[in-house]
Amino acid sequence: MTENANLVPFRQASGDAPPPAVVLRRVGRRFASHDALADIDLAIHVGERVAILGASGAGKSTLLSLINGSLPATSGDVEVFGTRLAGLPLARLRPLQRRIGIISQRLDLVDQVRVLHNINGGRLGRWSSVRALAALAWPHADTAAIDALERVGLAWAVHERTELLSGGERQRVAIARLLLQEPELVLADEPVSSLDPTRAAGILELLCAPARPITLVVSLHQPELARQHCTRAVGLRAGRLVFDLPADRLDDRVLNDLYTLT
Amino acid sequence: MTLQIDAVREPSTGVAATQARRATTGRTVATRRLIGLLLLAVPLVWAWQRAVPAGADVVNRGGLFLVGDLLASALHPQLSPGFLAVVLDATVVTLTFAALGTASALAIGLAGGLLLSDAAWHQHPPATVRALRLLVRGVLVAARSIHELVWALLFVSVLGLDPLVAVLAIAIPFGAQTAKVFAETLDGVPAGPLQALRNAGARPLPALGYGLFPAAAPLLLSYSFYRFECAIRSAVVLGVVGVGGLGQELVVSLQSRNWNEVWTLVGAVLLLSAAADLWSTRLRREHAVVTCSDWSAGHGSRQRPGRARWARWSAALVVAGLIAAWLASDVSLSGLTSPRTWELTGRLLDDMWPPALPPGGWPALAEAVPDTIAMAILAMAVAVAITIVTGPWAMRPRRAAMDEHAQPVRRLLRGALRWTARALLLVLRSVPPTVWAVIALLGLFPGILPGALALGLYTGGILGRLVAEAWESIDTRPRDALRAIGTPGWLAATAAVVPPSAHHLATYTLYRFEICIRDTAVVGVVGAAGLGRLLAENLAAFRFSTVTILLVASFAVSIASELLGRRLRDALRARATV
Repeated sequence: MTENANLVPFRQASGDAPPPAVVLRRVGRRFASHDALADIDLAIHVGERVAILGASGAGKSTLLSLINGSLPATSGDVEVFGTRLAGLPLARLRPLQRRIGIISQRLDLVDQVRVLHNINGGRLGRWSSVRALAALAWPHADTAAIDALERVGLAWAVHERTELLSGGERQRVAIARLLLQEPELVLADEPVSSLDPTRAAGILELLCAPARPITLVVSLHQPELARQHCTRAVGLRAGRLVFDLPADRLDDRVLNDLYTLT
Repeated sequence: MTLQIDAVREPSTGVAATQARRATTGRTVATRRLIGLLLLAVPLVWAWQRAVPAGADVVNRGGLFLVGDLLASALHPQLSPGFLAVVLDATVVTLTFAALGTASALAIGLAGGLLLSDAAWHQHPPATVRALRLLVRGVLVAARSIHELVWALLFVSVLGLDPLVAVLAIAIPFGAQTAKVFAETLDGVPAGPLQALRNAGARPLPALGYGLFPAAAPLLLSYSFYRFECAIRSAVVLGVVGVGGLGQELVVSLQSRNWNEVWTLVGAVLLLSAAADLWSTRLRREHAVVTCSDWSAGHGSRQRPGRARWARWSAALVVAGLIAAWLASDVSLSGLTSPRTWELTGRLLDDMWPPALPPGGWPALAEAVPDTIAMAILAMAVAVAITIVTGPWAMRPRRAAMDEHAQPVRRLLRGALRWTARALLLVLRSVPPTVWAVIALLGLFPGILPGALALGLYTGGILGRLVAEAWESIDTRPRDALRAIGTPGWLAATAAVVPPSAHHLATYTLYRFEICIRDTAVVGVVGAAGLGRLLAENLAAFRFSTVTILLVASFAVSIASELLGRRLRDALRARATV
């Protein structure tokens, strides 16, 4: 356990420690008569990299949406950066969401515009409306934008039309957008499930090694990647938390339990 | 001439899907088919009996020689320089009406579309906007349920024979339709990117600029061009009112039976229409929407990669054309603000209230409504027949495994046949229905039948193209799979291609039927039958109080047909997705 001494969940919270990035207390989410999530208790501390594992339909995406505040919980409390999300007015939710980066398998890029505009989407929150619209009319690639693209190896593509890029390149555009947003917390919803193993590892490395330490919550289908890139692994089955372990303690027995159909 | 975009239906939630499905028995299917056939046959028989009462004379033998004259003179169009100058002048006027009308319609459409779209308000429109929407929705529905021609007739009684009449008559109903379509287009853009921008903290306006407009622009643009194409057809039709352009010249020449001139003018209309038609089709194919079916199915096809040079040149051309049109035309807005116009508007509104029944009272009205419906039903029957006969030949060839074995001669023959079918459809939809009606009225006694025939020929030209475009998009892989396991070609086609084809045909027929009901006003104006004829007669006699009641009646019929059509189309769609 010594090599895991720096893992936050095992540290006693002291008075001056920063609040955990995310706290879930007995959180549940119900769709009509179906419980997508129930009784989730989870605290994620700053700097942790948490893998969420589970079969399809186990509630992984729902969990990420709850943390982001785009989906309200139907029971329990969600707290992000020390702020309770329940009943938070939109005007106060937005600044919070600005600090949370999201990347999903869908990528959510606008196909019809240049790459530059897509990555600028990450910092629209910091720009005034006038500046944002002006940047759309007169595209100007500043050093920050070029820098972000360079880190994903796409500096040449600044002025390409996004739809002309390949699938892997588009994925990296989405990551460059994330880098420009400079989030403190990254929620990644199966970011690599459609990629080959080498690409997947590359993407996760990019997510795990930003300029400053961030908190990462990533849902994955490959336990191997969780072991390599994350510090902690959380298992969901049928909307319930079934394990919460340091990533290197993931073993076949635990995983078999997770994916066994009940 | 409107094209409606259906809103994308949310797929049913998982809850319903998880419920155990009941097995459908063969008997249920057979019963449903039988009911469907009855639903189809009963209105047809009813409409036919209404149009051709037993023992009534239909064909006007005295007028048949006129049709002969008309056809005989086709080979000798009037080509004297003097007349050609008149035609050129009229063409420019028609183009001007169409351009200015479309531009105003797009301005209305953009404003209305933004107001009505949920996406533009990030799914949470404020309460004031929601209240305003109710009002705007009502106004738009009323505006688009009244035909351009009727709008023109109303405006003529206020503005006189001012070219502004034509521009307004196009702008108002087209603007209302465009607002609806634009709102649905904006809402149909995938919400993911916009949501992602908002979640990353973008302010509302920049989020729209980055996430919504770039994605919607190709669709909005191609729809705008489609509207322009429709506006040219409408501008020709509007000539009937007397505000100028090719339509007016056509009616004058038809009524004075100058057949040679008629043919020259028909030629000009064809050229103009064909140019606009080909341009708009080319643009849509190249740019964003491959077929009109993409709209009515509620999803735009993915834009093909590459710069749409056509679109850019077209846009530049359009802006230049608009400026030229404004400068060249004597359209001025002064007519709108003159005290005389206000006085006349006041008097018109005064005259329109309280509503009064037409001469003949309720029975006359009670006759006109079913006449209108019967005319639309028969017109659709004609249009469907045209579509079934020409549609399959008008399609672009599909690459199939068997084509490689086809002989060159056969391929050439197919090509010739294809262009003939397409040209036929183009002629049918380019000649305004009023002209078809005047021609039909030469050989047939006034009534439902000539109107239905005229409307059917025109609608057939449009339906044929829409359906052929939709058919081109049908997935042929199931058929190829059947062929690959040794099924004879015709059998494979029947099993795999005919069902989706029939579905497309049914959907578009229902959708055009709604428009056809509205269009009966056009043929009514030249004396066919139904509400349109009553409207024209009462407008000509300045009985505006009666006009009010007729407008309300047309509105009711039009709304009823739209609601019924939507129900039926939804039912068809549900069956297609299950």
